[in-house]
Amino acid sequence: MKKNRTSLYRESFIPIRKYLLVMKLTFIFILFGLMSFASTTYSQSTKLTFELRNSTIETVFKQIEALSEYKFAYNSTKLDVDKKISLKIENQTIDAILDKILGSANFHYQIVDRYIIITDENSQALNTLELSQSGIKVTGKVSDNSGGALPGVSVVVKGTTNGTITDADGTYSLMNVRENSVLQFSFVGMKTQEINVGKNSSINVTLLEESIGIEEVVAVGYGVQKKTSVTGAISSVNGKDISQVPVASLQSAIQGKVTGVTVVNNGAPGTNPIVRVRGNGSISYSADPLYIVDGVAATDISNFSSNDIESIEILKDASSTAVYGSRAANGVVLITTKRGKKDGQIHINVDSYAGVQSVAKTLDLLNTEQYIKYGTALNTNAGLAVPSRFSKMSDPIYAGATQTYAQTNTNWQDELFRNAKINDNNISFSTGSEKSIYYASAGYFDQDGVMVGTSYKRGSFRFNSEHEVSKRIKFGQTLMYSVSDRDNQKETQGRTNLMHAIRSIPYLPVMDPTKEGGYRAANSGSDGTDPDNPIKVEKLFESTTSSSKLYGTLYLEFKIADYLRFKTTAGLDYTNILNKVHQPIYNDGFNANTSASVSKETFQNTTKTFTNQLTFDKTFGNHYLNVIAVQEQTAYSTNAMYITGRLSTNAVQELTGLSNINANGSLQENLLLSYLGRINYEYKNKYLLSVSMRADGSSKFAPGNKWGSFPSASLGWRVTEEPFLKNVSSISELKLRAGYGELGNNAIGNYDWQAVMLANTDYIFNNATAGGTHFNALANRNLKWESSKMTNVGVDFGMFDNKFTFTAEWFNKITDNLILAVPYPRSIGYFAAAYANIGKMKNYGMEFQVGYRLNGRELKSNLSANISIVRNKVLNLSNETATIDAGFNQDYGAYNMTRTVIGQPIQSFYGWQTDGIFQSAAEVAAGPKQSSAAPGDIRFKDLSGPNGNPDGIIDSYDRTFLGSYLPKFTYGFNYSGSYKRFDFTAFFQGVYGNKIYNGTKVLTEGMLRLFNAGTAVMNAWTPTNADTDIPRAVSGDPNQNARTSDRFIESGSYLRLKALTVGYTIPMSNWTKGNVSSIRIYGSGQNLFTITKYTGYDPEVGAYIPQSNGAPGTAGGNGSTSGLLNNGIDYGLMPSSRTILCGIQIKF
Amino acid sequence: MNIIMKKIHIKVFLLLILTSSLVSCDFNLDKVNPNSVTIENFYQNEGDLTSAVNSVYAVLQDQRLVSREWFFVHDLRGDDMATGGGQLETPRYQLLIGTNDPANSVASDVWSGCYAVIHRANVVIEKAPGVASIADAKRGQLVGEAKFLRGWAYFELVSLWGGVPLYTEYVKDLAGSKARATVDEVYASIISNLQDAIAGLPASYSGSDTGRATKGAAQALLARVYMQKGDYALAKPLLKSIIDSKQYKLVANYNDNFLEETEYNAESIFEVGFMDSNAAFSWGYNNGDGLGQETTVHNQEISPISWGNLIPSQKLLEEYESTDVAGNTKTDPRYKFSFYEVGDEVASGPLTLASFNIASSSVRGGAAKKVGWRKHTILYKNVASYYPSGNNERIIRYAEVLLMMAECQNETGDSEADVLATLNQLRDRASVSMPHYPTANYPTASKDARFKAIAHEKRVELAGEEIRNRDILRWRKQGKLAILGGDPITYFAANKFELLPLPQTEIDNNVNVGKGAQNPGY
Repeated sequence: MKKNRTSLYRESFIPIRKYLLVMKLTFIFILFGLMSFASTTYSQSTKLTFELRNSTIETVFKQIEALSEYKFAYNSTKLDVDKKISLKIENQTIDAILDKILGSANFHYQIVDRYIIITDENSQALNTLELSQSGIKVTGKVSDNSGGALPGVSVVVKGTTNGTITDADGTYSLMNVRENSVLQFSFVGMKTQEINVGKNSSINVTLLEESIGIEEVVAVGYGVQKKTSVTGAISSVNGKDISQVPVASLQSAIQGKVTGVTVVNNGAPGTNPIVRVRGNGSISYSADPLYIVDGVAATDISNFSSNDIESIEILKDASSTAVYGSRAANGVVLITTKRGKKDGQIHINVDSYAGVQSVAKTLDLLNTEQYIKYGTALNTNAGLAVPSRFSKMSDPIYAGATQTYAQTNTNWQDELFRNAKINDNNISFSTGSEKSIYYASAGYFDQDGVMVGTSYKRGSFRFNSEHEVSKRIKFGQTLMYSVSDRDNQKETQGRTNLMHAIRSIPYLPVMDPTKEGGYRAANSGSDGTDPDNPIKVEKLFESTTSSSKLYGTLYLEFKIADYLRFKTTAGLDYTNILNKVHQPIYNDGFNANTSASVSKETFQNTTKTFTNQLTFDKTFGNHYLNVIAVQEQTAYSTNAMYITGRLSTNAVQELTGLSNINANGSLQENLLLSYLGRINYEYKNKYLLSVSMRADGSSKFAPGNKWGSFPSASLGWRVTEEPFLKNVSSISELKLRAGYGELGNNAIGNYDWQAVMLANTDYIFNNATAGGTHFNALANRNLKWESSKMTNVGVDFGMFDNKFTFTAEWFNKITDNLILAVPYPRSIGYFAAAYANIGKMKNYGMEFQVGYRLNGRELKSNLSANISIVRNKVLNLSNETATIDAGFNQDYGAYNMTRTVIGQPIQSFYGWQTDGIFQSAAEVAAGPKQSSAAPGDIRFKDLSGPNGNPDGIIDSYDRTFLGSYLPKFTYGFNYSGSYKRFDFTAFFQGVYGNKIYNGTKVLTEGMLRLFNAGTAVMNAWTPTNADTDIPRAVSGDPNQNARTSDRFIESGSYLRLKALTVGYTIPMSNWTKGNVSSIRIYGSGQNLFTITKYTGYDPEVGAYIPQSNGAPGTAGGNGSTSGLLNNGIDYGLMPSSRTILCGIQIKF
Repeated sequence: MNIIMKKIHIKVFLLLILTSSLVSCDFNLDKVNPNSVTIENFYQNEGDLTSAVNSVYAVLQDQRLVSREWFFVHDLRGDDMATGGGQLETPRYQLLIGTNDPANSVASDVWSGCYAVIHRANVVIEKAPGVASIADAKRGQLVGEAKFLRGWAYFELVSLWGGVPLYTEYVKDLAGSKARATVDEVYASIISNLQDAIAGLPASYSGSDTGRATKGAAQALLARVYMQKGDYALAKPLLKSIIDSKQYKLVANYNDNFLEETEYNAESIFEVGFMDSNAAFSWGYNNGDGLGQETTVHNQEISPISWGNLIPSQKLLEEYESTDVAGNTKTDPRYKFSFYEVGDEVASGPLTLASFNIASSSVRGGAAKKVGWRKHTILYKNVASYYPSGNNERIIRYAEVLLMMAECQNETGDSEADVLATLNQLRDRASVSMPHYPTANYPTASKDARFKAIAHEKRVELAGEEIRNRDILRWRKQGKLAILGGDPITYFAANKFELLPLPQTEIDNNVNVGKGAQNPGY
């Protein structure tokens, strides 16, 4: 037997004598040459599994047609379709199947896209069919929707064997057509149309494109599902979209692309962005979604290369995520990595880009001259002496220097920021045969931070394969190994370097060769101030994180029957992390280390997952049933070790010869046991039902509370499958769906229910340490899962073959039993709070996504827009008046900036309201009493008092809610298109209606005490400069003008051109042909512009997480910021950088 | 079965083994924290109970208390201190100028620290009777230490905040928080704690126990407590008992009370131990559990070449007798022991004006001059601009006992001679050798005149030692500040500044305290 695929073309018509066509098609006429382009993909990507015993070949063909989109055409007189065969097909391509069926017979088969033509050896030259039936002659022209002629369209009289195909001009002519018969026009990639002939002898037809996405398959957790059958809220981003716009992390790749997911980039290279699916679902714990990579939970996805990603699915509603039970409350992100293809060919892809990043905006700070003026006013107004340096500005900046202080004008921001490189190189290799498929890749990513002293490098390697051991047994594996090195953003005194840069004095040099270590800092005596030198902090101090990750899965699948599979999967996620901090001996004139400090900290994180899954999958007539039963266990452990000590030399930076050694370590373990069942049922592909139940048992909870159950149910109705809509050709998709489910969150500590003794404190008796043991928190044996109940209603709508699509979702998520650190009075004497299931919170909202697709011959365009609305409200805390305050920081006004109370959104900004500036002593006396207020100070509003009424005194009772960091809505627009060989992507992303607490403004305009400041302070109030909104400059801020107030609350709305990419695919010249299959070059810009009213560095403000490895030996201890309830406070966080890059993608 | 199939089956078998060996099947959901002992398994023997008592002391080292915020709260509310410049951080500056409110972090931290002492002491006191293998005397001593520390903490609280929630057992669930007790109830509890401590504690320790609370410490503290209540007659016998014990004496060199090398000397009655850790300090709030907190930043905060955040107030400098002022025959040597000026000798040689890291100037001899603290600094041996030190903080020393005694004697009607006999012991210290009272500037004929002399001597002797704040509170309450020339706190307003405001977190989250329970004026 011989097979032939796309190389078989015939310019002439295929004459048919008597072909029997299965299904409704009678004849298929195919002009192979025009269609060959589409064929390879489907025939290679579609794999079938079925088993038939003692069936006719015709039955086999029908089965194939039922399982796939293939349609058969053959001559029943030549091919014995009644011949009985037995056949077992398991996940095989059509080629392999046809080879089996036709193996011994002397037949050709030709696959042209979805059409399979079977011919015998002798029927190559068929003649035009001539029939002597009576009827009219019908002629016409077939065109596409842009008016272009469509050659090769098959035109068949329905129910007969009478047919033809259109010629090069798109015209056809058909004889002997009976009146009132129906003409069927079909063409690959176009939607088949049926036209009643009536008495017309001329029928012109416009064929519409068939939606490409209509049979897309999406990962749904423990399986895949046709997109059309999905009843939950699932958003997909495919690998092509991810690779189109280069990004440093997987999370960034989904930013703005889909509804219901907010991604906020956070800080330095190699740090994870903050991802929230449908709002912030937890108060005490990070509301990160669960990441599942190739079916197995991953603890951290920063080590994965985005080039290896086949697709990312985000499960947003409870009916989709409930299969992940107790870890699913904050959404689930399913990541599928690439596999090889069974096409027998070797594919090599090289993907490489390089670019430069820079800071888009810096603040206007005082220069030396302005600083002297400002500093003089600030101190003089407070009755303080002016720093002695001010009168000695003509001194050299250090002994022996020719430059004087007056001549020095250091721009500390310019010193701190730089143009930084970003570079990514990847190569992948994939191949496959009937038995095995392989995918291998290697990548190297190298990014310098825009802040000096920060960088991230990652090398990764992947090998995925799958093998058919026998007809019933298949096994496969994925394996990723990656190593990364991060030069961390450092900080001292609990203060970010951006803060130090803002506050550093312009007349001081960065470097000073007379100082040990070479860096220079302010001297609080002669300079009257003490910011740390940020360049010293970044360059002289070392803080690195090296990690290596081994992430692999191994699976084995037994086919028990055609409809029943058993799969067992083992997954290992092993991460080894080494943090190293070294601070040498130095003296910058203010801060000094008399001995070097060095510390090393290691973590070995291991997650072992073991899953056994039974899948039943069968179609009975109109009924489709998919049932899974899963048993799973996930064991997690962390081994931690920490050693720190002092060294008397800078020559050695390792843990040798240490004095003052401190060492500790711990072991953390937990185990999750799970049982899961799910039923998906479809009737006529029209009524969809999904029901699931998961039971999770976790070691994190006390006996009696270990087990939780998480049910879900959802329904879908594909209205377009109903008779009344089926013939409305303009509506291609209308699906209504609704779901409900219950989810859990078990992010709590591994042993939180157990009260234990802490043996880690000591005291000094007679100059020697004596160990102390105590307990510091109340244990709560009643701790149970945080549970969420979520309802989701959605509609999917498509028109004109899904050229236009629209999806709308509404959801309501009530999170109950929120585990909160019970806001406790300090008088009970515990330093750490007890945790209890006391909170209740609601997240609700809507999401809309519209898409428009235009596929012309030369111009192709895809437009999509999305908007997500989430509202948050705290419904319950430990008691009616309980407050959870956060954000305290001495440098930012010394008040907590957010408050979480019942009835308000989580962590709302909380502070005073300003009411202008006191212009005179009379106004001060007349206004509400503000101790220490003077003319030029800010008047605050008297809103309340101890009895709930304004009491004429400005105090902490007058604080009120000042807005939320949560946007009213977030949105994105995405345009991607191509014209001839050019392709374009423009991606806008924005948020609207959120507030930012602009901490950088506290630094630039707060005037708490003498530091460098923003140029705005030159406009500070004085009796002669009364028309200003900047209060008087007075050191010590006696009126607390810089207290937390609406003065520093700014709109956080922004619209940003997140990415703009232009690519060009180079035409293949003769010499490249055969060697290279395509080369695309592109240029891309990220964060090219931002429209915002925010006056800080960057409105994309993440959460500040203080560095635990801050500098011992320097000052600090300024706040209790934990990073959880501090979202939207700009403490001087690293801004998103602007990136310009160019890249090349080569396919061999 | 042919050979190929057999091979395949072997492969599958191997695969199965590999798969299952990756995850050892573990179905045990009962995981016990491997990093700690449970509460139920602790408090078994002498070692456990000693360790539990040590954890009470450990809170003293926390930066909420003696290593940082405790000395700030007292210094800033007294009149011994002024700001060294604009670098004094906002919540501290607010305390200094009286603009602090219930959210003030320095005061809130001292509050939390005191209650942590109380909680841990309560645990010891409650668990001690159940400890099986321990001698009764040892048990009594350990409980005595816990009661001493509990009494110390409550005295801090009652003297700074007034009637505070009173816990005599440790809190077992969150509903166990208490309402404010009355001032009298808190004092009654303190007195009972210290009486028990006096009964249980030994007169002294040796070796590695040096530094534990002694009977003398409990007596001195109880004397302070009685005096603060105005019960001078009750304080006097306690002080007499300390003096008569001959356990303590004034050391010849005044400065030995502030040096790291002369810790636990004969004058020291109770001190908080610190140890040099190469400038390491646990900045940030490590819950008092960190291993690193063995140092104090007292040196760092006030040393004139370090941060110089606080300097002596002008009034304090002027309190010292000086031959510049008519009637004084000698300049008090304690001035030089307490403060640094340009030219004073430190470890690196004479201090230069350039080395002063403080912006503010004082007036000396009619001219502006930089003056910074010497007491509590370690410049005598270490001139690093950054150095949290290991210098112990002397909480009670014998000089204070004598000064308290003199005041009690004066208040209870002892003769001028008796009062002066006590008071002049301080002037007789070898390194001080000041002329005896009465002097031209300090006549002692009347009770009030003697009070003025005692107040002067106490202020000079104990300058910057966190005593003055409470003295002002006491004397104000007893209407004695007029004798000293009026209220020394410039911002003072009645019905407000007698007490600190209760921390806002306590008002918000202690349902038994509630909104209306704030101190007046806040």
